[in-house]
Amino acid sequence: MPVTERERLAAAAVAAGLRLTAREVTDLLPAWKRYLGLVEQLRAALPPEDWDDAS
Amino acid sequence: MTPVEALTTAPLVEIARSLRRRQVSPLDLVDAYSRRIEQAKGLRAFITLPGERARREARRAEWRLARGEAGALLGVPIAVKDLFATRGIRTTAGSRILRDWVPARDAAAVARLRAAGAIIFGKTNLHEFAYGVSTANPWWGVARNPHDPSRSPGGSSGGSAIAVVAGLCAGALGSDTGGSIRVPASLCGCVGLKPTFGAIPLDGTIPLGWSLDHAGPLARTVADAGLLLDVLTGKNAGRAARRASTRGLRVGILKGPIVEKVQPRVSRQVEAAATGLRRRGLRVHSVTVPEMEWTVATQLVTLRAEASAIHSRWIRTRPRAYGADVRIRLQLGALVTGADYVLAQRVRGRLRAALGRVFQDVDVLLLPTTPITAPVIGDRTARWRSGEEPVDGALVRLTAPFNLTGLPALSVPFGRAGGLPVGLQIVGQSMDEARLLAVGRVIEELTEA
Repeated sequence: MPVTERERLAAAAVAAGLRLTAREVTDLLPAWKRYLGLVEQLRAALPPEDWDDAS
Repeated sequence: MTPVEALTTAPLVEIARSLRRRQVSPLDLVDAYSRRIEQAKGLRAFITLPGERARREARRAEWRLARGEAGALLGVPIAVKDLFATRGIRTTAGSRILRDWVPARDAAAVARLRAAGAIIFGKTNLHEFAYGVSTANPWWGVARNPHDPSRSPGGSSGGSAIAVVAGLCAGALGSDTGGSIRVPASLCGCVGLKPTFGAIPLDGTIPLGWSLDHAGPLARTVADAGLLLDVLTGKNAGRAARRASTRGLRVGILKGPIVEKVQPRVSRQVEAAATGLRRRGLRVHSVTVPEMEWTVATQLVTLRAEASAIHSRWIRTRPRAYGADVRIRLQLGALVTGADYVLAQRVRGRLRAALGRVFQDVDVLLLPTTPITAPVIGDRTARWRSGEEPVDGALVRLTAPFNLTGLPALSVPFGRAGGLPVGLQIVGQSMDEARLLAVGRVIEELTEA
């Protein structure tokens, strides 16, 4: 199981069919972290739905 | 300076008029521009030079003019961003991957230019595959700002803006996915128009983001941009703008967090323009659109996914055929999930609705095109009192909202800050290009006054 951000990125890249070297994973990591932060911003931009806490 | 040399930096409408009246020959004009290109080759404006082919087209235009044929651009040399397919002329998209591609057909926009009689005058440099805003192209050369070669011209249509400002063509064609016409127009000091989404057909244009891509003109004057727009759309917004009154128009000056991080000297130009517009009888007031804060996240997720879909095969099979910055963006895009893309489209819908509400109270919005003037080549960080921001993100922060919403946006030069051009952006409602051009003309007159 990937546990660090870097391992999660490497696993996601493999799943997406990308062949990244260790150096390329390192190069991609800052952009990946920024991307995850932006997705969080988008989630926060939408109001919660009524059913979000239903389960 | 000979009359033809003096004409090389004149407005396109004046060049077209001189050609129609046979005061200058297309061949002499093409040769004069070619000499200027040779002198300015260090700016790296072109990937493929006009060459003998343009001279052949000029001879044909000369023959047609002598026969009294008409054409809005007959004999006018127009440079084309190397993202648009050109029949028989190499089209690289600024890449190594397409370095030898010679299309069999013209892109629709190029075909419209040719139908109006334009001479296709070389293919201009761009950020690789139009995916970036520096035009620091690893394969075709680092493009440089004509006002200060140590600075960036912006991009991705950097070569087109350089060619217009340095007098290497009469006008140019560009494309804009997040600001790629308006950003270089602002940094180099020319007019750049991104029309309403879909107004200019994109067939034969190498896509970057299907829902964000636009084609449009770069030109030395607002009237020039209007003429090119009319040719490219087959409509008459440019002509209508010449007759349109701007008196009483409601202008919303954009305020709020998205314009807080703007160089003070750029903000001062916006205020000066607002004062000038008031004096000309326009009604100016401030507006805020808090939803615009979501722009960067929405644009980035949308574009990363769409561009990666376009490049899905090559980024997996030939990743090292891309330059480092574009490769990273495409690899990141391959990791965008469907859920993230849908999330971005939901937020995009809210941004569109918010801007729709604003346009119930104003006719046009006015804001800086870019929050900074041309950065030094290689600078990666813009520094603000509140923190740092990547330069490429800062450059599109104020332009990308109008790719996401498809609204027309015009960048007009307005004075200088620290010796560098400042661009003001005028945004209107869908298909309201005539009004944008009319207000743009007023801003241009304020500059001249």
